[in-house]
Amino acid sequence: MLQFIVLGLFAGSIYALASLGIVLTYKTTGVFNFAYGGIAMFCAYVFWQLRDGWGLDQWIAIPLLLLVIAPLLGLILELLFRLLSQQSAEVQIVVCLGVLAFFTTIVNLVFVRHPDDSVRNLSTVFSHGSFGLTSNVSVTWNEAGTFILAIVMGLGLYAMQRWTRLGTAMRAVVDNRDLAGLIAVNARTIGRAAWIISTVFAAVAGVLLSVQENLVTYVLPFLVIYSFAPAVFGRLTNLGLAFAGSLTLGLTINILQKYGSSGSLAKFETSLPYLALFVLLVVYGKRLTEVKSSLRATTSRAVADPWRGYVVGAVALILALVLGPQVFADSTVGALAQAMAYGVVAITVVVLTGWTGQISIAQMSFAGVGAFTTAHTVASLGALYFPLGVLFGILIAVPVSLLVGIPSLRLSGLFLALATMAFALVMDSIVFASASISGGLTGLDLTEAKLGPISFDTATSQYYLCAVALGVTGLFALWLRHGPVGRRLQMVRDSPNAAATLGASLTVTKLAVFAACAAIAAVGGALLAVTQQTVIPANFSFDTSLQLLLVVVIGGRTLISGAVIAAGFYVVRLLPVPATVNKYLPLGIALAVIAIAQEPDGIGRVMLNQFQKSAALLYRIGRRPRTPVAGRTSSPQAVRPSV
Amino acid sequence: MSEPLLTASGITVRFGGLVANDNIDLEVAPVGITGLIGPNGAGKTTLFNVLTGLNRPTSGSVAYDGQDISRWSPHRRARAGMSRTFQRLELFGGMTVRDNLLAAWEASIPGGVMGRRQSEGRQLVDEVIARLQLGAVAGRQTGELPTGIGRMVELGRALCTRPRLLLLDEPSSGLDAKETAHFKEILVEVTDPEQAVQSEDGRGAPAVLMVEHDVRLVMDVCRMITVLDFGKRIACGAPDEVRNDPAVIAAYLGEPAA
Ligand SMILES: Nc1ncnc2c1ncn2[C@@H]1O[C@H](COP(=O)(O)OP(=O)(O)O)[C@@H](O)[C@H]1O
Ligand SMILES: [Mg+2]
Repeated sequence: MLQFIVLGLFAGSIYALASLGIVLTYKTTGVFNFAYGGIAMFCAYVFWQLRDGWGLDQWIAIPLLLLVIAPLLGLILELLFRLLSQQSAEVQIVVCLGVLAFFTTIVNLVFVRHPDDSVRNLSTVFSHGSFGLTSNVSVTWNEAGTFILAIVMGLGLYAMQRWTRLGTAMRAVVDNRDLAGLIAVNARTIGRAAWIISTVFAAVAGVLLSVQENLVTYVLPFLVIYSFAPAVFGRLTNLGLAFAGSLTLGLTINILQKYGSSGSLAKFETSLPYLALFVLLVVYGKRLTEVKSSLRATTSRAVADPWRGYVVGAVALILALVLGPQVFADSTVGALAQAMAYGVVAITVVVLTGWTGQISIAQMSFAGVGAFTTAHTVASLGALYFPLGVLFGILIAVPVSLLVGIPSLRLSGLFLALATMAFALVMDSIVFASASISGGLTGLDLTEAKLGPISFDTATSQYYLCAVALGVTGLFALWLRHGPVGRRLQMVRDSPNAAATLGASLTVTKLAVFAACAAIAAVGGALLAVTQQTVIPANFSFDTSLQLLLVVVIGGRTLISGAVIAAGFYVVRLLPVPATVNKYLPLGIALAVIAIAQEPDGIGRVMLNQFQKSAALLYRIGRRPRTPVAGRTSSPQAVRPSV
Repeated sequence: MSEPLLTASGITVRFGGLVANDNIDLEVAPVGITGLIGPNGAGKTTLFNVLTGLNRPTSGSVAYDGQDISRWSPHRRARAGMSRTFQRLELFGGMTVRDNLLAAWEASIPGGVMGRRQSEGRQLVDEVIARLQLGAVAGRQTGELPTGIGRMVELGRALCTRPRLLLLDEPSSGLDAKETAHFKEILVEVTDPEQAVQSEDGRGAPAVLMVEHDVRLVMDVCRMITVLDFGKRIACGAPDEVRNDPAVIAAYLGEPAA
């Protein structure tokens, strides 16, 4: 037992460092750092490179990392988020997720040349060996050192907040931004300090987590996500509570491991932090404070003339139906079918994020619900019952979405993002990981599906099915957007206060949209299952939901065509494109998201604006002799895409 | 005089150590315009937020039309006929003026979001647009409009819910003299039972509670005026009484009322 307590305190103290870092930036700058795990992992790899890779002495490598590299990283992040400080919470969250994707992909590109590289052995930074606590319980120096270091750093942070001028200002900025101004410490200084300290904590947490095990690309960020729960336990503002929560979490996980590590409880330990995060969001509810509540919403422009959208959409659909299977090879047709099924799910991201301002990082989990339910139904009842399977998928997805949405949708967007993240991770670690539900790693087969007499067993038939589904969903969404439903979504998004005082229930509106999107995602998932024929959990993981959100942001989160562009990214992965494309594409996606998240209409709008700017410039250069330069030129924004 | 339409009793709101509203009582008559004035930071907007349900008071209760609505959500109060405008404009910037008004109508009736009673709504919106002389900008996006027109749109939006009680928070701030005069004219017109925007269910002219900086405007149009200072009610009465109240004059240091 004591041995487990030792292990629990060790793990808990690492979570403590991470949660302190997360709380610090949230409470001083209002940014919840979703990328924290990515940063921690990056720093751990850098440390490996410095010490083990290049053979630097540990006492050079550590200061280099903690005093130079991590602070620099912190400064860069501070700059990035300062540039975004006037943007809506939605943009900040999306950028943060882009940063997370950036760090995970950059690690892959820079440090992981071979598949074997993804696991690097990293020995402890403390001295090796152990000492006995009692006759049969021993503690390694690594564990003891980590625990003491966490306590020292935690106390150091506390002392700094308590007794230094900068610290006082940091605390004041939470209570009252104007007051912080009075103490005459510049808000920028406070933000910088917070980001630097937070990043250094991330580096320490990353290195300490890594030396215990190995450096594993995909696990490390998830271990850091463990510390989101304690951060929320501290209501995202209380360092002491976050620290205590972390130790409790570490202890609970390790004690559970002692008692429950066999049988059905085995998965429970690893998903406990996600469950805890979710439960905490439910329990705290409205008592969770938002640091910035007066952020303005990103205005997406209404589209005056929907007809162009309908026409373009209908023509695209007809062309796709008529030409698709004739023009492309069979394998391409299959890939396109999958991509269009993916596009159906992407439309739910457009509706949620672009039209309602809600960020969900669980749309692929809902798709997974549809996919596995359909696969099970068809497996036990037969191919003819495919539509029934889809219906079952919807019937499961909707109540589940209400469970996720009811607690978090009454709060601001950040908390839906957190709740959906927790939900997706719980689905990954408990539901989809269970072999009886998902068939385990190899998945479930869905070789035949029928809609009445039509069988979807060839690539071409699947193509027609998915094209019609995507076209109908897209046109229907567009039609809704231009009617009362669209107005309701836009009013809730543009000004929740005004919407409420005119008679619109914010909770009901957001919940209805969230549930409807879960249902459509489930349908999309069922279609994906039909096209993929083997339903694998990995295709519906948290990672895939995150990727989906990112590509929709690039495509344009307010546009149905944005969802189509997102589907285009999906095709690229399936087609025989040059290896370098697939290698650098994730990095490109992450960078593009960071760069253009501010533009709700996505890459098309950015390019159009650039084009118009250059055209205007050329025009002016051409006519310079005669046109007097106007004092204020309005930016040319005549043409708006409406699809 | 008849029963008040709205009665707030003992409203107290604390933000940390700051007492923004300190045990305030307020009544709004079912007809005509009631004024709420006070220097900047007196707590007027905070009180509006309490009345419309956006803020929960630390203590105190609100009664509307004989019912205790203290625990009602903002949208339920709105459906019961309370509608407001905002000191810091809260327009739906991504929508056109016409859509702003239409969205307000849809929000105010059950089933509006499903498209019920659309033609009735469009008719009302057209009437409000004509009444407020917004025709020229009806197709423009509100995010691009100047404040003066924005305030008109907010008023129109509130009118499109066919309110029984209209709460206006500094409707003339940001308007120039000409716009203010125009606004006053329209305000008097829409609150006049004879000329009000009528709807099929016969809801007539709304009662108005108005926060206003322009003391002259308030003295002109209001029957009753409540004065706040530092979160406390320091006076309440007809314009003439308030005008000569020493506490009010002191509060408006060097800015003698009217
Ligand atoms: N959300 C809030 N948090 C903290 N203080 C607030 C908040 N809203 C208003 N206040 C403070 O309450 C006081 C009253 O503000 P307000 O009601 O806006 O005054 P008025 O509308 O009369 O100018 C001011 O001192 C203001 O700073
Ligand atoms: Mg005010």
